[in-house]
Amino acid sequence: MATVNDISKSVRRVDAVSKCEGKAKYLPDIDFRDCLWARMIRSSVPRGKIIKVNLPDLPSGYCFVDYRDIPEGGHNYLHMIATDWKCFAEDEVRYVGETIGLLVGPDRTVLADLIDRVSVDYEEQIPAVTIDEGLACKGGAFVNGNNIHCHLKIETGENADEVFKRCAKIVEETVETGFQEHIYLETNGACCCPEGDGYVIYASAQCPFYIRKSIAPLLNISPEKITVRQTVTGGAFGGKEHFPDVLCGPLLVAAHKTGKCVKMVFDREEDIENSVKRHPSKVVFKTGLDKEGNILVMDSKVYYNVGGYLSSSFVVLQRGCFHVAGCYSFPSFRSEGFGVATNTFPSCAFRGFGAPQTLFAVETHMCHLAQMQGLDPLEFKSRYFIKQGDTTSTNGKVVEKVMIPQMLEQVLKASDYRRKVKEYKIGSGRGIGISFYNHGGAFTGNGEQSLIKAHCRLHKYPDGHVEILCGQTEMGQGFHTILPKIAAHVLEIPIEKVVFEDPDTSRVPDSGPTAASRSTMIVGDLVEKAAKLMKDRYSKESEFEIETEYEHPEGYPWNQDTFQGYAYLGYGWGVCAVEVEVDPCTAEVAVKGVWSSHDGGHPVDELIVHGQVNGGVLQGIGWASTEVMENTDGHFRQTSMSDYIVPTSMDCPRQGVDLVDNPYEWGPFGAKGLGELVFNGSGAAYIDALSRAIGKKINAIPVPTEKVMEYILHGKKLGEAD
Amino acid sequence: MNVKLEFTLNGKNVTVSTDPLRRLIDVLREDFGCTGVKEGCSEGECGACSILLNGKMVTSCLIPVGAADGQDIVTIEGLSETEKGKLIIQAFADGGAVQCGFCIPGMVVAAYSILCENPDPTEDEIRLGISGNICRCTGYDLIVDSIRLAAERGGSIWKK
Amino acid sequence: MEEVRAYIPETLKEALEIRSRTDCIPLAGGSDLMVSNKRTTGVAPSFDKPVLIIRNLKELKEISVNGKGECVIGAGCTSAEIAQSSVVPWHLRQAASRMGAVALRNSATIAGNIANASPKGDTPGPLYLLDARVRLTSLAGEREVLVSDFIVKFKTIDLHPDELITAVVVPLSERNFDYIFWHKVGTRKANAISKLTLSQAIKFDGRIVSDYRLSATATGAKTNRSREVEKLIIGKEITPALIEQVIDAFDEVISPRAMPEFRREATRRMIRRFLSVASERPENRVIDTFDGFHVTGQPEPVF
Repeated sequence: MATVNDISKSVRRVDAVSKCEGKAKYLPDIDFRDCLWARMIRSSVPRGKIIKVNLPDLPSGYCFVDYRDIPEGGHNYLHMIATDWKCFAEDEVRYVGETIGLLVGPDRTVLADLIDRVSVDYEEQIPAVTIDEGLACKGGAFVNGNNIHCHLKIETGENADEVFKRCAKIVEETVETGFQEHIYLETNGACCCPEGDGYVIYASAQCPFYIRKSIAPLLNISPEKITVRQTVTGGAFGGKEHFPDVLCGPLLVAAHKTGKCVKMVFDREEDIENSVKRHPSKVVFKTGLDKEGNILVMDSKVYYNVGGYLSSSFVVLQRGCFHVAGCYSFPSFRSEGFGVATNTFPSCAFRGFGAPQTLFAVETHMCHLAQMQGLDPLEFKSRYFIKQGDTTSTNGKVVEKVMIPQMLEQVLKASDYRRKVKEYKIGSGRGIGISFYNHGGAFTGNGEQSLIKAHCRLHKYPDGHVEILCGQTEMGQGFHTILPKIAAHVLEIPIEKVVFEDPDTSRVPDSGPTAASRSTMIVGDLVEKAAKLMKDRYSKESEFEIETEYEHPEGYPWNQDTFQGYAYLGYGWGVCAVEVEVDPCTAEVAVKGVWSSHDGGHPVDELIVHGQVNGGVLQGIGWASTEVMENTDGHFRQTSMSDYIVPTSMDCPRQGVDLVDNPYEWGPFGAKGLGELVFNGSGAAYIDALSRAIGKKINAIPVPTEKVMEYILHGKKLGEAD
Repeated sequence: MNVKLEFTLNGKNVTVSTDPLRRLIDVLREDFGCTGVKEGCSEGECGACSILLNGKMVTSCLIPVGAADGQDIVTIEGLSETEKGKLIIQAFADGGAVQCGFCIPGMVVAAYSILCENPDPTEDEIRLGISGNICRCTGYDLIVDSIRLAAERGGSIWKK
Repeated sequence: MEEVRAYIPETLKEALEIRSRTDCIPLAGGSDLMVSNKRTTGVAPSFDKPVLIIRNLKELKEISVNGKGECVIGAGCTSAEIAQSSVVPWHLRQAASRMGAVALRNSATIAGNIANASPKGDTPGPLYLLDARVRLTSLAGEREVLVSDFIVKFKTIDLHPDELITAVVVPLSERNFDYIFWHKVGTRKANAISKLTLSQAIKFDGRIVSDYRLSATATGAKTNRSREVEKLIIGKEITPALIEQVIDAFDEVISPRAMPEFRREATRRMIRRFLSVASERPENRVIDTFDGFHVTGQPEPVF
């Protein structure tokens, strides 16, 4: 696709060699001289009152830090959109793993010995763990009197209740998804050092400015007193969007108390047991059909397991509801979302941010609606593809050209779908499935304008170097290469002349979080604009700066109170096909092929995009297949990388990767969001393929081997009504 | 009780007086500054701490340093100084193998092990050779391509 | 005096001397013990006894064939070495080659895999099937015990305090059988722990089964093998009814706790598959769970 001067033509990633050589310094690799180490004391019960924390005698130089160490005027909360998640538990605990305190001292072995001797007395209460238990207020409601943390309702077209009255058939179906653990290869870690009259935080994190804002209230200081320096970050996937605050808050209090650098790095078991996960979900559809089987109305109730505290989950739930119509346009549509309080570790961001759950649900439901009528899912789904100018789930319009038909053709051709669908009979042990999905890029609605107000600066130095100053982070997705490439391309200088370092909040402007597939689309655009402004002056002036600020295009209104209007100006779009083979003896599933096509606008670097597609697609298949994360009585049951099963190099063959070139009006060189999109559909395609192979209806993921066997033995036949 | 241990690390003879039950990964990282050896899982599942012990790839989180006494150890720090190591690293950089990079030093060690045993590996052989190195970013395809690229570029050097 | 945390003997004799006078934990590859005794990053693992590090004992590294035609595998041989050795019987090579992934197979030893006595261990299944023995050596002498007796129960072995496992003796090779079967259902395609593994082997005398063996791992507190079940079919001609009888009898033997339905059903299907295919006397001696789908035209549904 790329021509010689096209920005899509790949360049070598700027961070590749130092990472290969082992020279890149991740947080655990940095030697903070004479630092103290911290270990967390956490709740071991899912719900209860803390009666007493029993500490052993602490040797000199060791101390315990808890809520009582927050100075007068400070606030014991972490500001993660909402402010309900406490930094330290005081009298009650709402989930296993809730931070009670830190044990701090110079020697890790001594700390480990001390930790073994800490105990906490609780008055235990009955926990609610699942969505259903939360809704039933098992053990008594603990949030809002009904365990509903948050709620929204959206509808388009004629009132759903009216439409149902004239439907020939109404189909109800429930689709469920489970917890998913990020398994970023580098576990969470941070270090907080007192410096001058403030503090410096070093963290493996996505959003340095979030940390500052979140934890400053603990000491009742202005966020500017805290400098956050991101360290090379070994993967995040949303798991280091807000969660680093849960480490950095207590570390800040510990540094305040001890006056020393305090470092904490989770080991893997600790990280899996005590970190945020993807929200488990339950989507209950009620779909009305006319007598020819056409959809007249699709109504859904979307339940997300939020856990003990709301924090960022309302935004996740909103995105879930906005995406529950998938890539389709229905005459009438309604969705109601409920964020359910339970006594599990609070759920948080994970690649897709609420969209994957509802997209999986609607794709699966659409397959079943088709199969119920004896139709091929592809044929049925094609009737409802949304197009440019169509109404979205929030009564906005689709602004861009939707290239699903072209992408579909690419995937059909690459996968030989039509032949295989004919050849692989239902229940034959072989199956091919297909899914359609999208992802609204950047913050919802006018959030970029009203909440973030991203700024970005370019600094030209006398020696001709240009430095990009913004808060965006590299976490593996390639942003350290993307952004310099954009600047270099505009300025027509070599990429080596552009400097872009890991952000330090004291010297870069706040360009918003590295999240929501917004970095290339929004901040990339700010850099492109700044570079254009710089270009004429570049050779004339020795040293100067250009600063740009995000401006929302006129004419695309959004009301955040009613959730009405243009939720997203640019969507990424995807089509994915998966082929599987099922062992008739053991029910083992072998993935025989994966083909996808994505529209992320005009790609800024083809190889980086390719890598994003491969990684996201495989992560999505993992979510649907082997990645079982159970929670029993409030405790996660999978606690290591030997029992939480992510895909290896042997679990999927080489992927077929196609892209379409669909330049986005407001993105840099026509690029738009992609990083989350590529996760959003492979799970549904995998399950479609699997259910055809075994001839059984599958309504819940993940589906590991033993579950496949269960479906084979007891599942409902495809096409049968519930 | 500390024990004096001697071994070869990246071609140099070194000694260390330490608890022989400390994990080799901790000793390499903390006593010898080999922080390219990454800790991903602490139980031999992820391959991020892979090193060469007497020329064979092992995970250094599973080995007590006492077992390294008298043995030959090469970490990514040493490997990246060699002709073969450099060749792999350049291929990884050109082939788009690297994203977050945390698995990558271990992955380079795995690539080296594959190519030393089999200078002309098939895609399946490469996938098998890196199957103990978990990568959560790349979906592996570009890593596989990069190892093929290193095989092709290296040609006869892999037969030495 | 500070406590001794570990001994690092240079010879087997030295190791046995330490065993004779000290209550200690032998550690070879480390792949089980370093995990089960780990604490956290930067903190040494904690063992309740001194550790005897025998990873590098050269005397335990050899694979050979003895005068009786038995394969003798040094206790310190790694899974990689076993998987690559042409003299090691087929079932055991299969199991060794699918244990963990490359790096683990370069560390994990056969003695460690037996001594761990985990019902999910990879090598005990084939070793039970092939009537393998462990050789136990002390300063006082040597004894040999069937692996199936040596593993007493879950996580418990019959190792005397002064002994070390020095070898594993495998008397039977695939040449003793007409058809062989080994299939591991892992948690994923590679780098996996066993959810269920079945080893089977059969020999015919004309139409009559002269030997049949079956072992299963991850189906109970220890590896399952039942000579009574095997006797049901030995001396008889295979019939569909007899296959079902074997299946039902073996179902009584196994006692899976987690995912019982899956483990029972997949076990039934794998036994049925092996015996029914073997009874047809195909050319290929290795029988697997299925041949792959070579579908052209209209296949019958299999589910």
